[in-house]
Amino acid sequence: MTVVEYFLPRSLAQAVDLLSRHGPDLLVIAGGTVAMPLINDGISLPRQVMGLRFVGLDEIEPSDGGLRIGATTTLTSLLRQRHVPMLAEAARRTASWSIRNMGTVGGNLFTPPPGGDVAVALLALDAEVTLEGSRGRRTLALSEFQTGFMTTALEPQELLTGIGVPAVAGETTYVKFGRKEANTPSVVTVAVRVARDGEVVTDARVALGAVGPHALRARKAEAVLVGSSLEPGAIDEAAEAAAEECEPFDDGIASAWYRRAMVRLFVRRALEELVQHVALEGR
Amino acid sequence: MGSRIVSFELCGREVEVLVSPMATLQSVLRSQLGYTGTKEGCRQGGCGSCTVLVDGEPMMSCLLPVEDVEGRRVTTIEGIAPVAGLAPIQQAFIEKNAFQCGYCTPGMVVLTKTLLDHHPSPSRDEIIDALGGNVCRCTGYAPIIEAIEAAAAGATTDAGRDAGDWPDPSGER
Repeated sequence: MTVVEYFLPRSLAQAVDLLSRHGPDLLVIAGGTVAMPLINDGISLPRQVMGLRFVGLDEIEPSDGGLRIGATTTLTSLLRQRHVPMLAEAARRTASWSIRNMGTVGGNLFTPPPGGDVAVALLALDAEVTLEGSRGRRTLALSEFQTGFMTTALEPQELLTGIGVPAVAGETTYVKFGRKEANTPSVVTVAVRVARDGEVVTDARVALGAVGPHALRARKAEAVLVGSSLEPGAIDEAAEAAAEECEPFDDGIASAWYRRAMVRLFVRRALEELVQHVALEGR
Repeated sequence: MGSRIVSFELCGREVEVLVSPMATLQSVLRSQLGYTGTKEGCRQGGCGSCTVLVDGEPMMSCLLPVEDVEGRRVTTIEGIAPVAGLAPIQQAFIEKNAFQCGYCTPGMVVLTKTLLDHHPSPSRDEIIDALGGNVCRCTGYAPIIEAIEAAAAGATTDAGRDAGDWPDPSGER
């Protein structure tokens, strides 16, 4: 352990101030579930660390038909909320009980693949992030926040303080496929949202996890779905498009080849599940 | 540089301890406070051997900087058993042969106590779901699940015991 100072600010103002004073050398953590394993193993050797556990950004509240989620809200709190069922499902399928009691929604957006599944659900919901620093506050679409493998649009003196989920139309489905049922890294995670006018799809989101440097939108698949009636041909075509445009990688969980094949399968299944679910509800 | 005194409630007693920056709760419990019931497994949050309760909720003590529990209530396996005898869940683990090497057992028992506090009669699925983060490499889980079912069927938990009844492992050293 190389840490010489561990700061635990009691407010956002204190946290922003510490960040301004110490600059990019200050490692910022919240739940610690991503950073601490690296520190424990000596892979990460920070000297100065700031923990956000006491800054008071851990509230979830309904907002204009959507949801306002503080960055340090735990995954357990996300699981317990009833406003957005897909987010509860994404939290339920993430890690284990003890880890969900520690890990945060904000931290999940910095979690490298094959982790970071909550971001996949948030992406399908058009979530935006709030960033705050000494120069003020700005909001950014989540799709623009994650820029690469473990890189984000965060400026050196900014903190992620919250996640906004707007009121969005349509039905959602969330599918996580891993090597086992619980507490598993993802082979692929798929979150879809489809808005329809009658039979015709007016808006679609297909978000993918664990098949790229960060959570991705399969925009070609989305384009295939818009204007369709989710007929089997359109679903197959969208699944094929998603499999082509994803950027899978090899790791200890799965090969890139297998991940791409599973994107094809699980995008199709997610869309079929959505169609089935809507048909049942309409009865 | 950076060392500080952290105080928190440990199994019903107030403790104060001088810690180096970001020492994990697990290492402080074992190396500085003599509470060796909490095991060190993977140090990655992946095995559950180090599970403790913070304000009654299970957490992985290997991932928790001890400064983060300042002023909070920590319960380890040492706080689960009454002074004399065993908690019902401990007795159930023995009767159902729910451990062999025993390394995962403190984490399993601590987690299960919380499960039964929240859900006195959990379904088999709820038990399996709760144990998702706790790895056992000996018994194959079935006896562990049976032990939890047996403890739940006994319908007694050790909740509500007052602080004076807790043992003090550090005082016994």
